[in-house]
Amino acid sequence: MIGEASIHGVFVPWLLILALASFVATQLVRRVLRRLGFYRVVWHAGLFDVALFVIVLWLLTLGTAHIGPGSLRN
Amino acid sequence: MFSQRLVFALANTLAVLSALYIAFAFDLERPYWAVFSVFIVAAPVSGMVRSKAIYRWIGTIIGGAGALLMIPPLVHSPELLSLAMALWVGFWLAISLMDRTPRSYLAMLAGYTAAIVGLSVVDAPQAIFDTMVSRIEEISIGIACGALAHSLFFPRSVAGELDARIESTLRASARWIAASLTELAPPSGPSAPTRLSRVVGEIYTLNTHLAWETSDVMPIGGTLSVLQDRLASLLPALSSAERAIAALRASNALTAPMQAAIDATVDRTHGLADAPDILEEARPARSTRPTAPPSATPTTRWAHLHEQTALAHLHELDAALDDCLVLARALRDPGAPMDAALRREAESARRVPLYRDVRLALVSGVAAAAAVLVACGLWIAGAWTEGGIAAQFAAIGCSFFARLDQPAPMIRSAILGVLVALPLAALYEFAVFPGIDGFPVLALVLAPVFLALSYMQAVEKLAGSALVIAVSFSGALALQETYVADFAAFVNINLAEVAGLLIAMAVILVGRTLDPISSARRIARGAWRAIGRAAQRGARLRPAHLLDCIGQVSMRLDASGARDVHALNPLQDLRIGANLATVMSAETNARPDVARRLRAVREAIGAQYRARSLGVRGVNDATLASALDRGIGELEAGPPQRHASATIAALVSLRMDLLPDRGLGGLGAVIA
Repeated sequence: MIGEASIHGVFVPWLLILALASFVATQLVRRVLRRLGFYRVVWHAGLFDVALFVIVLWLLTLGTAHIGPGSLRN
Repeated sequence: MFSQRLVFALANTLAVLSALYIAFAFDLERPYWAVFSVFIVAAPVSGMVRSKAIYRWIGTIIGGAGALLMIPPLVHSPELLSLAMALWVGFWLAISLMDRTPRSYLAMLAGYTAAIVGLSVVDAPQAIFDTMVSRIEEISIGIACGALAHSLFFPRSVAGELDARIESTLRASARWIAASLTELAPPSGPSAPTRLSRVVGEIYTLNTHLAWETSDVMPIGGTLSVLQDRLASLLPALSSAERAIAALRASNALTAPMQAAIDATVDRTHGLADAPDILEEARPARSTRPTAPPSATPTTRWAHLHEQTALAHLHELDAALDDCLVLARALRDPGAPMDAALRREAESARRVPLYRDVRLALVSGVAAAAAVLVACGLWIAGAWTEGGIAAQFAAIGCSFFARLDQPAPMIRSAILGVLVALPLAALYEFAVFPGIDGFPVLALVLAPVFLALSYMQAVEKLAGSALVIAVSFSGALALQETYVADFAAFVNINLAEVAGLLIAMAVILVGRTLDPISSARRIARGAWRAIGRAAQRGARLRPAHLLDCIGQVSMRLDASGARDVHALNPLQDLRIGANLATVMSAETNARPDVARRLRAVREAIGAQYRARSLGVRGVNDATLASALDRGIGELEAGPPQRHASATIAALVSLRMDLLPDRGLGGLGAVIA
């Protein structure tokens, strides 16, 4: 996951792309959990959301490890 | 209170220092951009921080893209570049002012970010891309640190803020209803329309932030919208009731049963104002109050009608107050009992549209563009090295306070803030920094200032000046990787900032200081046009929307200190709007013959209001009088019903407001 992706010649840290993707994914998960009423049993929602983001980011990193920057780099 | 502010200040300082550390660690170009981003997004309520962070981020990206678009092709023709930049800033400022929600920050930032990024690289246009990227990166770091810190360390939610605001509003309203009905004396301070419309506006703002709250806060937009409408109905209902009661009292026709009905409302509101928890007093079942006049044998038809009117408006007032309590309780606890019809309304309610001051937006946009052009002109003509900085600050100065009628005093205090920050920054830059090395020591020496400024931000009165000082302090320090002590540059740059703000102030003073009274007239004309159009088309008139428009008028009247301005009567417009809404909703449910009469009334009022918006008054008084009288007669002849008496009350009130010179005495003749 270390390295940069090239988007039309602009180098962007791979981690940034993953972080943005997991931010969006976290919003979706949040919305579902909220619909289910899950947050009623959460003590500190802010902390929970940050932890959720970190977990999603970690999962995404794991999942994209072998399609990572190597394949995207020019 | 003290500890809450201290927690806020500590969290904010932590966020500032971590932003600074991260920016240094990544070798970014201007770490101070990250530092003041934290100060800019900081707010006592976590939802506000998060919403502002997102808006700031998107606005910065748009602004950076704009700079990227304009600089490379135009950098060799400074005049064209200045023009393009001025138009860009003015355009986005105008867009921003059309939107009265916190989202407007996005467009405003898109405007002046282009100036900040673009004008700082004209000497080295090849650096534009890097500067833009670093601005975006540093702002991302700053807002991320700020948003994280304020969501993690003892966050206060918008919901809590909203609850407190609504509770105090309801308590104040109850007290004020009781006072008005007993003494019939106007309370001191800002007028009632101003105060109430301000609260309705605040609720709207908090509602926007709510979408960005931490996940445990429930979406409650619909309930809030209905609550805004009910709060907005309190004022016209009370005022109409007061008028009818005053008329009865003036002619000595106030009977004992009528007095008892008034006392019942007064007792209830007194009880509410003194209740330990006002929301616990909510009555979920809607009250059923007798609607027939209390006196069995009224002296005259005139007295009978006025009694009926006063009673119906008192009932309307009670009902609106009850609905407010129930809705406010539902905001706190979604499981609280609620009348089925009210729940349906809350579930389907749309957001209240806010008044849009198009002319203010356009004029401010033009003023901002002019200020940028003036600064750029001085820059080009005077071969002034720091002229670019002046142009940036001219853009910022014009944008930041553009929402105000008279922004110049605010810009003046911003200049003062910059001048306060300068000696402090100079002290650090030239006395402290030469002696230190490394991040830990830097953090230690800066922490006291950041802590003090953060604490000031938590105090409502000091927040504005704290922000100005924090931004100009960190800007003046221009913290960079390697320390460069250059006193000449320090002074030149900071003087250019002040010069830019002065240019903004001068342009605004010359070009767009708006006289509160003439603004009030203009906005009132807009409101009249809206009332007239709604009346002619039979479209729904939302109480909260009307209160918002009228509140803009009365706010300006209050600000000008003029008690009595010719032809402007905000309270009267509110009453007419509310009674018109009652007539229009009765029309849709009425029998065809009654509906025809009511339609005639609303069309006559529509025509009158259209004419009023063009400056003509009393165009069709005779038509209106006969339409109103026929309507009252038709309803009186029909079977007595709750809706009928509410509609009669609305018609009588409209008659008192629109045709004050034609007493109801002539009524009998028309009907006979």
